[in-house]
Amino acid sequence: MSEANRGARGVAPSQETELSEANRGTRGVAPSQETELSEANRGTRGVDPSQEAEPGELVVSGLTVRFAGLTALDDVDFTVAPGSVHAIIGPNGAGKSTCFNVLSGVYRASGGSVRFGGAELTSLPPHRIAALGVARTFQNIALSRHQTAEDNLMLGRHRLTRAGFASAGLRTPWARREDARHRARVREIARFVGVDEHLAAPAGTLPYGVQKRLELARALAMEPRLLLLDEPVAGMNGGERRRMAEVIARARADLGLSILLVEHDMGMVMRLADEVTVLDFGKRIAGGEPERVQRDPAVIRAYLGAAHEPAAPSHGEGNP
Amino acid sequence: MSERRTSPRLIGPGRWWLVPVGFAVMLLPPFYLDAFWLQTGLFAMSAAIGAIGLNLLTGSTGQLSMGHAFFLAVGAYGYVYLASSPEDGMTGLGLPTPLAFLGAIVLAGVAGGAFSPIAGRLRGVYLGIASLALIFIGQHVLFNAESVTGGFNGRNVPPLEIFGFSFDDSPGVVVLNVPFGALERLWFLAVALLVPAAWIARGILRGRPGRAMNTIRDHEVAAAVMGVPVARYRAGVFVLSSMYAGAAGALLALAFRRTVPDYFGMFLALDYLAMIVIGGLGSVAGAVAGAVFVSVLPQLLTRFGDDLPMVAAPGSGGVSPAEAARILYGAAVVAVVLFLPRGLAGVWPMLRSAASRRRASRHLTPLEKEEQPA
Repeated sequence: MSEANRGARGVAPSQETELSEANRGTRGVAPSQETELSEANRGTRGVDPSQEAEPGELVVSGLTVRFAGLTALDDVDFTVAPGSVHAIIGPNGAGKSTCFNVLSGVYRASGGSVRFGGAELTSLPPHRIAALGVARTFQNIALSRHQTAEDNLMLGRHRLTRAGFASAGLRTPWARREDARHRARVREIARFVGVDEHLAAPAGTLPYGVQKRLELARALAMEPRLLLLDEPVAGMNGGERRRMAEVIARARADLGLSILLVEHDMGMVMRLADEVTVLDFGKRIAGGEPERVQRDPAVIRAYLGAAHEPAAPSHGEGNP
Repeated sequence: MSERRTSPRLIGPGRWWLVPVGFAVMLLPPFYLDAFWLQTGLFAMSAAIGAIGLNLLTGSTGQLSMGHAFFLAVGAYGYVYLASSPEDGMTGLGLPTPLAFLGAIVLAGVAGGAFSPIAGRLRGVYLGIASLALIFIGQHVLFNAESVTGGFNGRNVPPLEIFGFSFDDSPGVVVLNVPFGALERLWFLAVALLVPAAWIARGILRGRPGRAMNTIRDHEVAAAVMGVPVARYRAGVFVLSSMYAGAAGALLALAFRRTVPDYFGMFLALDYLAMIVIGGLGSVAGAVAGAVFVSVLPQLLTRFGDDLPMVAAPGSGGVSPAEAARILYGAAVVAVVLFLPRGLAGVWPMLRSAASRRRASRHLTPLEKEEQPA
């Protein structure tokens, strides 16, 4: 741990200052951005302003997803409190990514509801969910390979900007000002996440770890209220993992986001998460504080198998 | 780093010399070239406008379209219909010609909009197959709606007239001892259309819509999740690309001075796809380069066919120049796909990035160093 700190400080001098700058930036740019943000929200749904002041609560209840005979999610409930980090864990195939795809509108739910700050997400297409301030990253990198890193981040600003074919084609002064303003903010976010020196490179040419961070930066560029992170440190080495965890913790602290996290790295889950939900074969088998969940016999069974447990026949159907 | 320019300009600071060279290339030919090459240049410029439109759709958004020839036909016949006065069995609106030209572009856009429920929903290759239907519908209508299109024989194209200045062979316009006929005059019209068409497309590609389009091409789900309404964008780009085709078609009609239905068939659609693949998918410069390549090659073969082996006059038994050109640019497509993934337009950046990679490989930043595998 101390090594991690030293490691971070080794790179730090410039980054520390950049970080604080980013913080100032968030707050400094905020007034206008806040208004823009709330404007966007008001445009897309009729929620009373009191609810917009703080990030909303995500309530998943009875969520069920079936694919032609296979039940990927079965009556799952959990709640992500505003400003908290909530982790979803479970063995491979437990339905974690399916859950993310439903939350972001990529898959349709067969039943149940997902409410976020007063809006029902299950009936909305992905871009409308994005407009509510829900951002996500992907387990497998989903950047536009041929565009520069900066343009990839600028895509995150899509919902906050308005330039269309005509104003972009004719380069109206208004469109150029909008572009410059959002580029400045995107660079701040890039510094915050530590990808600023790669901004000019095509995203597809960057190292894997940088691409993963770029995805996080792109999600943050949406100025989200809820961030869905699908295995943010999968395939990373130790140093990259520590740095990613640090960025996520800082993003949460500085931007006041709610974060929903799918992750296999238990060390990271235990360090970051306030609450954990455990899925197995599409069912929620445990939930609560990380320490408690870690000792839960159902969780241990799901991960290690139940061969030596005298399991009751009624439990047998789910677990191998 | 932080001082980088905020909005990309058309010409970089070190490339100022491109401006006079560009002007010379675009404005001097009417003073030096004969009618044959002027005609070729007009085709190339009109094709460039159409190819820019197709490249917005296919190269940048990843939506294949075989129906581009149909929208060119809408533009060409739309102009003729709107500009002609009704006479011997033909109908027409007899609008002022500049208005008819704009009307032709709008008409092509409306036709694209009518197809947009399909264009918005279908992805990539599937749209290509669906849009194939447009060609067959177009050919059927062009041959059979005789009162509008003139049927098999086509229709004469009324010359454009702007504020009393007519783009035809009327005598009396002599600039620097060069008598300006229709071709010379149309040349400047074509330049005046191509430059803004390229400029607008570049602005779109480098701005917010361009980023959304490229991401739809590269990762559709990511685009949607980032807040891009994918279907609406696909439909919008389809309409835009149709309008480019409409402008190209109307210009082509003016250059041909007669529209014939045969021209707007399957081969034209394939020519346009060849243009954007050879030139470079997704870039404006690529579309222009490809359009010039594909339009000029058959003309070159026609002109110099006598000196080339295998190429003979049409009907004399050998390979006709048009066929030879198709074979050649068929080979060009294969060569480009194999060796130049970004087409003709990618040659210069490729050389440049190779040079800068050699420079960059000398030092690594601390961050990258840490990420090197131990």
